[in-house]
Amino acid sequence: MKRINFYFSTKLTFDDYVHDHSFALRIMPPESTSQHILSCSLNISPYVPTQQTVDAFGNNVTAGYLRDDHRYLDFEIKGTAEVDSVKHRTDYMPCYLYQSEYTAPDDELRKFYAELKDRYIGSIPDRAAFFSDILSDLIEYKKDVTDTSTTAAQAFALKAGVCQDFSHILISLLRMDGIAARYIAGLAFCDGETHSWVEYWTGDHWEGIDPANNCAVNDDYLVISQGRDFRDCAIDRGVMFGKYTKQLQLVRSVLS
Amino acid sequence: MGTISLEHSDRLYWLGRYTERVFTTLKTLQKLYDRTIDNRSGYAEYLGYFGLSDSYGSNRDFFRSFLYDSTNPNSVAYSLERAYDNGIVLREEISTETLSFLQLAKDTLAKSEMSENTRLSLLPLVDQLYAFWGCIADNVYDEEKKNIIYCGKTVERLDLYMRTGYSYKLVKKEFGRLCKRLKNVPENTPFCCNSQYFGEIEDIVGSAEKYSSESSTALVDLEHLFEPMGAAV
Amino acid sequence: MTQQNNEQCTKAVGNADEINELLRRYGVKFGIYKNGVFNEQFFPFDPIPRVIPAEDFKSIEKGLVQRVNALNEFLFDIYHEKKIVRDGIIPEDFIYISKGYLAQCEGITPKNKVYSHISGIDLVQAKDGEWYILEDNLRIPSGASYPLIARELTRIAAPQAFQENDIVDNRNYAKLLKETMENANCGGIRAILTPGRYNAAYFEHSYLAEHTGSVLVQNDELFVEDNILYHRTYSGGKTRIGVLYRRIADEYLDPLNFLPESLIGIPNLMEVYRSGNVGIINAPGNGVADDKGIYYFVPKMIKYYLDEEPILHNAPTYLPFYEDDMKYVLDNLEKLVIKDVAEAGGYGVVFGNDLTKEKLEEFRRTIIICRFSTTAKR
Repeated sequence: MKRINFYFSTKLTFDDYVHDHSFALRIMPPESTSQHILSCSLNISPYVPTQQTVDAFGNNVTAGYLRDDHRYLDFEIKGTAEVDSVKHRTDYMPCYLYQSEYTAPDDELRKFYAELKDRYIGSIPDRAAFFSDILSDLIEYKKDVTDTSTTAAQAFALKAGVCQDFSHILISLLRMDGIAARYIAGLAFCDGETHSWVEYWTGDHWEGIDPANNCAVNDDYLVISQGRDFRDCAIDRGVMFGKYTKQLQLVRSVLS
Repeated sequence: MGTISLEHSDRLYWLGRYTERVFTTLKTLQKLYDRTIDNRSGYAEYLGYFGLSDSYGSNRDFFRSFLYDSTNPNSVAYSLERAYDNGIVLREEISTETLSFLQLAKDTLAKSEMSENTRLSLLPLVDQLYAFWGCIADNVYDEEKKNIIYCGKTVERLDLYMRTGYSYKLVKKEFGRLCKRLKNVPENTPFCCNSQYFGEIEDIVGSAEKYSSESSTALVDLEHLFEPMGAAV
Repeated sequence: MTQQNNEQCTKAVGNADEINELLRRYGVKFGIYKNGVFNEQFFPFDPIPRVIPAEDFKSIEKGLVQRVNALNEFLFDIYHEKKIVRDGIIPEDFIYISKGYLAQCEGITPKNKVYSHISGIDLVQAKDGEWYILEDNLRIPSGASYPLIARELTRIAAPQAFQENDIVDNRNYAKLLKETMENANCGGIRAILTPGRYNAAYFEHSYLAEHTGSVLVQNDELFVEDNILYHRTYSGGKTRIGVLYRRIADEYLDPLNFLPESLIGIPNLMEVYRSGNVGIINAPGNGVADDKGIYYFVPKMIKYYLDEEPILHNAPTYLPFYEDDMKYVLDNLEKLVIKDVAEAGGYGVVFGNDLTKEKLEEFRRTIIICRFSTTAKR
């Protein structure tokens, strides 16, 4: 068990005024068996009333609506949590066994799995670790070659990507192997932005694995959201109106 | 239901305007048609009201265009199409029955184009428009919505009366009607009139003498009547 | 129906031209796109009635109520405990491979546990007079306004047909719809959401709004604030919506929860719905129950949830997922209609007797491969 302080901020800036801006943030870390949130405050600027709900995957959703003209939306969370990664979560959903939008394999990825699957026979955790090992040898961690819309199959073809891409490919392999797996968005000590890793179902609980660093998840990881893939976990999603052509997003996170 | 969207308020207003445009254009053309029985080139003045040049070879061509040509934006056919366009998205506000009279009017106009006797064949059209207005009065329960349609109707009539040389007496009467409608418009809605333009029209229409020399100013003011206060002229 | 019967009915209904004239007058139209141009066409009226004797109707009605009750139970179960899967009645794959299953709807319980408020169940009468279920439509079934208005006009044009025959009245549909909307209402006005006047069914949307006293709305008039759905008024105010009869597909309903590129949806609508602050008719996620693959299991659902024997039967269907069924399909392919369970709305339907020998062989191979890949997965 470890007590950590967390801080996370996002600054969204538009190059022209926008209005009628509806947004949904998945940014408040959920209370669970493996993490106890001692305190968490959320600040949004410009001021806007928000409502908290919990979605189908157990994520805290903060929804808001800014009617008037504005050129930016900043939000930050600050708080303290006790993380105990030895205590596992058990909130299973059968949909995690099935491929989703970002993880659906193409022929290449399917072929890769077919060649891989008989090379290792072992327990579910052993197989997950084996896949992660293989990926860390094969895929290069490289920024700016992929973006938030890149699928597992696309990143696999590039043999490069960031934590999101590592997670998607690993999830795809695990699901092909008949192991339920889910995407985790969160904060970790190794990263200045948001991080992503994977949880797989051992048969009676979720176990975390970080494919981008090829290591097991420990008390230095704070879960913010989970889902079938990145799509269910986007930190912020919004719909707005205006003549803006670009939006700039600056993200910063600190764990201490 | 007591909830009116911006889109629907706009549609209600233009439904009133275009339906009235059909009616008054028809009435004016009928009168003109009557006059051309004696004088063969009677339509030039009418074209002048709209700043149009004469590209019509004959009375027949003129009337065919201003009645049936839906590509002529001053024609009855064009206005009726626009009225119907606005009506079709207001079915639940004005009722299917009300809307049916616009469909019947369209059918009558289409049939009239094929007819030997233009004026006889157009007679049912006037009846159908009266029936339309009867249905509006009877079927639209919400007074606020009804008033928006009537605002459109009265603005259009006043516009056409001033534009096409109707008598001062009739213009003054219609303006009085408009004042009554405007009084019923709730605050903060798009149909609150701009008091600057309204005042100017009131001033001009207030005296016969002033009206005879400044009716074109009043016409321009009428166009700006629903502009928000403080907007650039 | 006998020849004599048929003639009698045709005569009884009388003049189709007059009715078509009335349909025109009331603007009964449907929109179609042809070469990229939107056109509205008047709905043609066919005077030959399909007569259903009272006796038949009674049992059909009972059968349909039973079927829809079971389907509602199924939807609640799938989005909560999934007992029917756990008990082995329906294989898990059929649920989660279905495009109609929406994980975002997990755990949501609509008011009164009703998922399918309006159900369009397609029936077919076989040569032997027996009625069979062809398919279930539980998403946004459409077309209810046409028989309504046709009946109204037929009664005007041919009153004697109704005088001489004891015909059940169907014109209470709007009243029933209004009651259904009120049952799902979470506090606020009733609204019907249309994608706009260029939608093929726009006439129906506006006609039903008129006859249920609902506000007809488009997405840009709506917004979510403080977890409540509002209608934006022209004076800058807002009116709360308590129930939304939406005529747009699930995927487009909320760009923040489903397709982000949807321009006809309402951002954060799903949060309002999940919180029980608005009713949505029909419930999002119903597609999992009217899927072609699930159709096969509906009679089993009736037994499982209601402990009753199905009153109405499915058209005989074989699912090559099961070995016995696969054997039958492979042996009788040329006599069968083949449907791709992943497709809907008439797509992916092939008639076996239309196929050449080579094509039949190709289908046989595909069916075997598909079967083994799903089996292998299990």
